[in-house]
Amino acid sequence: MDLVQKEHDRLQKKLRSSQGINSVQATIDLLQSARDAIAADPNQAAVTLAKLQNPIKTSFNAINDGLKETHGSLNKYTKSLDKLFKDRPLPSTEHDVLSQQEPLINRAIAMHLLREGQFSVAASFLSEISEKKALMTSNERSSASPGSPSLLDLDEVPSAEIRKEFASMYYILSQLKERRNLLPAIEWARENREALEARGSNLEFELCRLQFVWLYHGEPDTAGAIPSLIPGNWRAAMAYAKQEFHAFVPRYLREVQQLMGAMAFCPNLPGSPYAAIFNNTSAWEDVAQFFTREFCSLLGLSADSPLYIAATAGAIALPTLLKLQTIMKAKRTEWTSENELPVEIPLPPSYLFHSIFVCPVSKEQATDENPPMMMPCGHVIAEESLKRLSKGSRFKCPYCPNESHMKDARKVFL
Amino acid sequence: MAAELTSIKLNAESHLILDQPLLRVPHELARRNFKAVQRAVEREKEHVIPALKDAANAALSNTQTPDQALAALDAMIARMQGLKRKMQTLQEEEQKIQTQSKKRIQHLEALHQIPSLADVKYDQWSRVRLDRLLVDHMLRSGYSESAKQLAKEREIEDLVDLDVFTQCQRIVQSLHRGDTKEALQWCSENKAALKKSQHNLEFELRLQQFVELVRPQDPLKKIEAISHARKYLVPNHDQDSKELQRAAGMLVFNESTRVEPYKTLFSPDRWKALADLFIRTHHELLSLPSQPLLHIALSAGLSALKTPLCHSAFTSSSSNSQSTTTSVCPICSTELNELARKMPYAHHSKSYVENDPIVLPNGRIYGKARLSTISKNTGSVEPGKVKDPTTGDVYDESEMKKVYIM
Repeated sequence: MDLVQKEHDRLQKKLRSSQGINSVQATIDLLQSARDAIAADPNQAAVTLAKLQNPIKTSFNAINDGLKETHGSLNKYTKSLDKLFKDRPLPSTEHDVLSQQEPLINRAIAMHLLREGQFSVAASFLSEISEKKALMTSNERSSASPGSPSLLDLDEVPSAEIRKEFASMYYILSQLKERRNLLPAIEWARENREALEARGSNLEFELCRLQFVWLYHGEPDTAGAIPSLIPGNWRAAMAYAKQEFHAFVPRYLREVQQLMGAMAFCPNLPGSPYAAIFNNTSAWEDVAQFFTREFCSLLGLSADSPLYIAATAGAIALPTLLKLQTIMKAKRTEWTSENELPVEIPLPPSYLFHSIFVCPVSKEQATDENPPMMMPCGHVIAEESLKRLSKGSRFKCPYCPNESHMKDARKVFL
Repeated sequence: MAAELTSIKLNAESHLILDQPLLRVPHELARRNFKAVQRAVEREKEHVIPALKDAANAALSNTQTPDQALAALDAMIARMQGLKRKMQTLQEEEQKIQTQSKKRIQHLEALHQIPSLADVKYDQWSRVRLDRLLVDHMLRSGYSESAKQLAKEREIEDLVDLDVFTQCQRIVQSLHRGDTKEALQWCSENKAALKKSQHNLEFELRLQQFVELVRPQDPLKKIEAISHARKYLVPNHDQDSKELQRAAGMLVFNESTRVEPYKTLFSPDRWKALADLFIRTHHELLSLPSQPLLHIALSAGLSALKTPLCHSAFTSSSSNSQSTTTSVCPICSTELNELARKMPYAHHSKSYVENDPIVLPNGRIYGKARLSTISKNTGSVEPGKVKDPTTGDVYDESEMKKVYIM
C-alpha cells in the first residue's frame, strides 16, 4: 500500500508539472511569429519557412518527451498496483448462486436502506425496481402470452407495512436522540407491553426511569446552573414518579426504591451513592440502542442490518476462501461436502449468534437429521454417534464411567 | 489441526480483495486518457511537420504566393490550437481522475491504520464499504437514480464510479432499443484496447447491422448489405471466416426461416446477447469483475455465518427473537433467510456454547446466568422458578440440570 501511495504521489506531481500544453503553446507561438514575419515581408517567406522546420520538430519532440515521462510514471503506478493485488485475484464465479436470486437481493437491499433510515433512497430504489419490472412484463406481454399480473407481486419487496414500521422507528429515535423526547418511545413500549414482557424485556421501565432522571435534571439549556438547586424540577420528577411508577413497583421494587432514595439526597446528588444513576453520560445512547433492538426483534428482525453483517463477514472470510480455492486448484481436488464449507473461518466473537454443537465423537456439526442427544450422565453426543456406540445394548459413555442405554438418551436443543 | 474459533486479527493487505476495482478503474481511465493525448499529439505531428515541409519547398521553388504560405500557416495554427484545447480538457479530466484516485488510496490507507476487527473504526469503514458495494450493485442492475442518491447521501461519490456505469448503461439501453451507433462509437474510442480483448464486439455489431439490412427482404437494401459486408465484415475475414460464410448465407433466407444457424441470426434475442457482450467487454477493459462485488461478499458472508440451526425446524435456544439477551442471527432474520437457504453452512470443529450450560426438562439448553436474568426480568415468574424464554414453560430451579458439552 505504501508503494502504491508513493507511486501515485509521484504520478500526480509529474502530471502537475507536465509541460505538454506549454510546449504546444510554444509551437503555436513559433508558427504565429513566422506568420507575422511573412505577412510583414512576403519576400522572406522561403527563408522563414525553411528556418521554421527545425524548431517545430524540436518542440514536437519536447511534447513527446513530456508524454514519455508521464507514461513512465503511469507504468510504475500500474506495477505498484499489480504488486499490491498480486496473488489476490477476485474469486472465480463458478458458484454464483446469487445471480439467480436477484429479487431476494433487491429485497434485502431495500430492507437495509429502510432500516438505515435512508427512506428517500429506498423509495426511489423500489420505484426503479417496479419500473424495470413493468418494462419487462410489458415486453413479455408483447412477445409472448399475456403475462400474469402477479409478476408485480409486492411479496418480493418490503411491504408498505414494514416501511411504515421503520418510519415510526426513525421518528421515535430522532425524537429521542435530537430532542431528548422520550414520550413517543414510552408510548410505543406501552402499546407493546405484553410482547415486551413476554420477552423479559424491561424497556418500558428503562425509558420511564430515564424520563424521571431527565425531568429531574431539567431542561438542557438551564443545565448550566446546578440543576438540583431548582426545586421545580425535583417536583416535576416526583410528580412523574407518583403518576407512573406504581405500575412498576411489583417488578422493579428495588430500582424504584433506589430512585426514591436518591431524592433524599436532593441538593447533593453527585456526592450520593446514587450518583451513577443520575450522571450516566451514555444513558441516551444505550437506551436508543436498546430500543432499536427491541423494536426490530418484535418484527422478527435482527438489530443490526443483516446485510451489513453478512457483507462484512464476507470480506473477512474471503481471504481464507480464496486460499482454499487456489489449493484446491493446485491439488485438483473437489469440494466434497456440499452443504458445508471445507474450512473453518475465524470471525470476531460478535459474529457468532448461535450456539454450535460439534459432536466430540464424530466431529460433525449437529443438524436436524442428526441432532444432539444427552445421555443420563449429562454428556452430549450426536445421534448417529450414539447409535454407532450403543449397537442397541447398554454402553459406556465415552467421557465418563457411566453406563446407559440408547433409550435413556434425550434430544436437546441448543 | 483446529483453527482458531474466533479472531479479531485484521490483515489489511489481504482484506482488500474486494477493493481492487476501486483503484483499477480510475487507473484504466487515466491510461485511456493518456492514450487519447498521445494519439492527438501524434496526429498533429504527422500533419503539421510534412505540411510545413511542403510549404517551405513550395516557397523555395517559388510555386506559391505568399498568401498561400500564410493560409497554410494559419491552417497549422488552427490545428495546433485545436490540439491545445483538446489537451486542456483531457488534462482537466486527468486531474479529476487523479484526485479521485488519491481519495481512494487514502480510504484504503485508512484501513491499514485500524488495529483490529473489533475496533469501532473498522465498523465505520466497513459501513462505507457496504455502501460502495450497494452502489456498485445498483449501477450494474441499472438502478442509476438510486445509486446516485445513495452515493450523495453517504458522501461517497469519489469512491464509486457513477459516470463509468452510467455511460455503460446508456449504451446497453441503446442496444436494447436496436441501435448500434453508440456502441460502435465506443468501439472506435477504445480501438487499441479492444484489440487485446478476446471478444470481437465490433464484428458482432457490424454483423448485426448486416442482419438488419437483410431483414426487410428489400433488394436495394440487400445490395447495401453486401457493400456493408465488404467494407466492415471482410477485413475481419481471417478470424471470423465461418461467421462470414453464415452472413453470406443469410442473403438467401428470410426472417421466418427455421434453418439454423440463420434462425438464431435473425432472432431479436441477438440484441440482448449483444448488450451482454458489450457489458462483458466493457467490464473486462476496465478490469471490473463480471459479477457485482456485493454478490461475492454476500455469498462468502452468508456461508461464513450460516449454521445448521438457521434453517432448522426447531427454534434455536441460543438466538431467537423471543428473548431479550440475545440478538437475532442475521441469517435467521427475514431479509436474508431465503437467500441463504441454498448456501453451505460454516465449518466448525469445536462446540461453542454459553458459559455454564444447563438443560431444562423440555430439552432446551441455556446458559445458567442468562436464564436467571431473563426469568428475573419477566415479572410473572415467582422467585425460585425459571421461565424458558423460547417456549414460555415455567420450571422449578431444581429442575435445571447441568449438561456437559465438549
